[in-house]
Amino acid sequence: MIYAVLLIFPAVNAMAGTFEERKAELLQEASNERGRNIFLVAAKIATHHDERYALTMLDSLINDQQIGGMFYSYQMIATYLYLQSGLPDSLKEKIRTAYRTRTMYRGDTENHWVAYYTGLYLAAQTWHDEDGSHWFNGKSSKENFDEAKDWLNEWMRITTTIGQGEFDSPTYFIVFITPMMALQQFALDNTMKKKAEMMADYLFADFAVENLNGNYCGAHSRDYPEDIVNPLRAPNVPWAWLYFGTPKNAPWLPTLGLPRQPVFRHPTSSNESLGYAWEVVFGALSSYRLPEIIFHVATDRSVPYVDKEQKRVRNIIRFGKEMNPQVYKYTYMTDQYALGSIQGGILQPIQQHTWDVTYVSDKPGNTLFTLNPFYSGKELAMFFPEEQKFLTDEVNRYHKVYTDPNKWNSSSPYEQTFQCKNAIIVLYNITPTAHHRQVDGFFSKNLDERITLANRWILCKAGKTYIAFFPLKQYEWIEEPNDWRWRSYDVKNGVVVEVGRESEYGSFEAFRKTFSAAAIDAKDFDKTLTVRYTTHMGDTMQFTYGGARILNGHTVDFSHYKLFDSPFLHSDIGSGVLTMTYKNMTRILDFNAVAIRNGMVTK
Amino acid sequence: MKMPSKIFAVSIAFTLAASAQDTLYMSVLSSHAYRIGAQDNPIVGLFGSADGGNSWHHEGWINYIRVFYTEAASDGTLWSACGNGVLRSTDAGASWKITTGWQITEALKVRADNSDPSVVYAATAYGIFKTTDHGATWKKKSRGLPGRFTADVIIDEQNHAHLFAATEEGVYVSRDAGGHWMLCGLKGKGIRMLLQEQNNPQTLWAGTEDDGLLKSENDGATWKPMNNGLSAKTVYALASNPSDSRLLFAGTHGGGVFRSRDGGEHWTQQNNGLTNLVVHALLVLPSHPQSVFAGTLNGGLFRSDDEGNSWKFVCQPEAQVWGLSVR
Repeated sequence: MIYAVLLIFPAVNAMAGTFEERKAELLQEASNERGRNIFLVAAKIATHHDERYALTMLDSLINDQQIGGMFYSYQMIATYLYLQSGLPDSLKEKIRTAYRTRTMYRGDTENHWVAYYTGLYLAAQTWHDEDGSHWFNGKSSKENFDEAKDWLNEWMRITTTIGQGEFDSPTYFIVFITPMMALQQFALDNTMKKKAEMMADYLFADFAVENLNGNYCGAHSRDYPEDIVNPLRAPNVPWAWLYFGTPKNAPWLPTLGLPRQPVFRHPTSSNESLGYAWEVVFGALSSYRLPEIIFHVATDRSVPYVDKEQKRVRNIIRFGKEMNPQVYKYTYMTDQYALGSIQGGILQPIQQHTWDVTYVSDKPGNTLFTLNPFYSGKELAMFFPEEQKFLTDEVNRYHKVYTDPNKWNSSSPYEQTFQCKNAIIVLYNITPTAHHRQVDGFFSKNLDERITLANRWILCKAGKTYIAFFPLKQYEWIEEPNDWRWRSYDVKNGVVVEVGRESEYGSFEAFRKTFSAAAIDAKDFDKTLTVRYTTHMGDTMQFTYGGARILNGHTVDFSHYKLFDSPFLHSDIGSGVLTMTYKNMTRILDFNAVAIRNGMVTK
Repeated sequence: MKMPSKIFAVSIAFTLAASAQDTLYMSVLSSHAYRIGAQDNPIVGLFGSADGGNSWHHEGWINYIRVFYTEAASDGTLWSACGNGVLRSTDAGASWKITTGWQITEALKVRADNSDPSVVYAATAYGIFKTTDHGATWKKKSRGLPGRFTADVIIDEQNHAHLFAATEEGVYVSRDAGGHWMLCGLKGKGIRMLLQEQNNPQTLWAGTEDDGLLKSENDGATWKPMNNGLSAKTVYALASNPSDSRLLFAGTHGGGVFRSRDGGEHWTQQNNGLTNLVVHALLVLPSHPQSVFAGTLNGGLFRSDDEGNSWKFVCQPEAQVWGLSVR
């Protein structure tokens, strides 16, 4: 019989020192930087280092227009609150004035709204009982507070019952977690304070279950091309380093050799070596402490596991009857690699990353994936209200690569996946009228080996990870600075990928011998669009593009997917409850009761 | 939010004297140089002109909030449809209030009822909303609409309880002031804009995504295409001459401005001097109907003082002029 003993344990007592050391190191590093950046200013003031410069810079940042309204909304009030005792009254007054005179755009994405409404909540709480003439939007403190509170509660409800929309984004994770930390520290209302703490736990747990050595593994709703091909330069990594202790080296050290050169330069950072990830300074300033159980979820990869999640599509405003169709996410985690995917199709515009293998490596480019680079005005018009014939050019202006045939991020309506543990079948049925009719694959030049067998399998060795890649159609290799681009032009196309570890095969030679005898059943593929493959774990997968996913004779039913379903995390659709389990520890986030229940499970 | 009413002025000298009675409003959503949260941005938002478009002044709020359209109600109240919701100014743009909450976002058009200025409709990416108390409260009025997205809503000037809505699946009509909607016509067509002829209110026009212009002369009961000579089939704007309803101008995607002198039976392209051919807004100056303004996407504002024979750039280079209106 299993029963739970409820008790309260202090968060991360066991490794508090380690966290505190990293926190101190982070603040010191940030305080030595001189970029035009509110987070660096905060680090300097908090550590009393270079304060004069920092105050001058803050004065300048308060007044300039470089920070978008939604980001300004939470960053400025969080700066005010975190540093209150260190700020002169004149700067405090300038910040106050900014909320009266600076009209702040709410934005059009989930992370925008979290930032905007968190800022509005804290600002209205701070300067309460003031009428609309004191606020940029003409609303009173009470009106602003109530609106912000109402939306934040709604966002938390939706996220914990039907899933997050901008889910598992290595970039935008930071724009969700940072406001929640500020809210948990500064909200005066105990309910909101507790819910913000729970949401911070929730977001960290969601990241932790797909963390591998600092890599945010699995499919992503939104990611930038530079981060997709070099996951350890993504903005989530400093957070993984600070809270999970992975990767081992601090993220500002040039160990990965490829300083991130973002196509989209975030306004709040000017530091090239760390991309736009200095938001983590707010994490270091926050009183939030990661619960011990989430640390273990993030770092214990002793036993491979499957993590299944259900998310939701960003709001569809036209060309679809359902506003938030479901996203079915599947990730297989091991100590050496993760293979992850979502079902394919258009689930997010512009920046979707549908599947990849990400492996442990101390070299950049530690990933492998394929995609069909797709773009269309109609796709954009599903999510944005501007004119569909205008949107493509407009989005290209922001994201630069949207129409680029060589881009490394894309949703595609012509791509579908079927994954079982360490194997995936990815099929393409590209309409002949599509702008880009090829399938591209990313193969890092830092692979230790890449060989092609007589039976068409392409085998790759990346440290202790072995990847077998079977192309259904003819292809070519295109050499690029950091990778070999695998490209195949057939519009009815697909690949089968199976991943293994050195510990399972003993050697890459043994892996080669195994796949020398591996067969794919794809006869009549152009007619049937069907592939059948039996993995070396013994699972038989049969997948028809636009048809069923059949595993060992049984059709996979996505409707059974839960919000979280893994050895570590469990949450039923609609429940509002997330249960974390690690060995004999449990932590339950109950958003209905607004309660956290920690426990020990014993037999 | 209290704002200086004249922050930024662009003055352009024109030879034509304009009547002071026309107050023009230009909604500049963005500029080609703009990027969300990314850099020093040019001034966008609402611009007004009290001298018939000879000079334009930035009005109201600063900073980007994605304004799509602004209209002055019969009581002088200004209403702006924005990404942040629906904004209201009762002091000629000196101060503004966002009247909507989080439930209303990405408002694309706002229309005030001329017979009762406390009644205002907003067409948004998430349906149609209505206030009957001057913006104090808003209610969703989308029952019967085929989806969320609504590009435009117009109020029948003959019967203010009759409304027409531009949806992605046709023109919809409400006979009970937004209580219920039903398909009026053009089923399945993406409708970008609607226009009711001032002098002939039985006549409705619909600009579409791919099917050019369609006209109904019986209050929406039947529609016929009016595309003879209209080589660009995506129509964002239509303006009629108030003194000659047979003189029409159509703003298109990629084709610039088309003009018809026979009530839409024939169209000719009129782009002499128009350097941007994505025309999203058109306005005929009521007091001087030879003058026509064209708002372009990423090309700014243009003006013709000879009924479209030639165009001159006015202001806001690289700007996205989404809306033009006059009171």
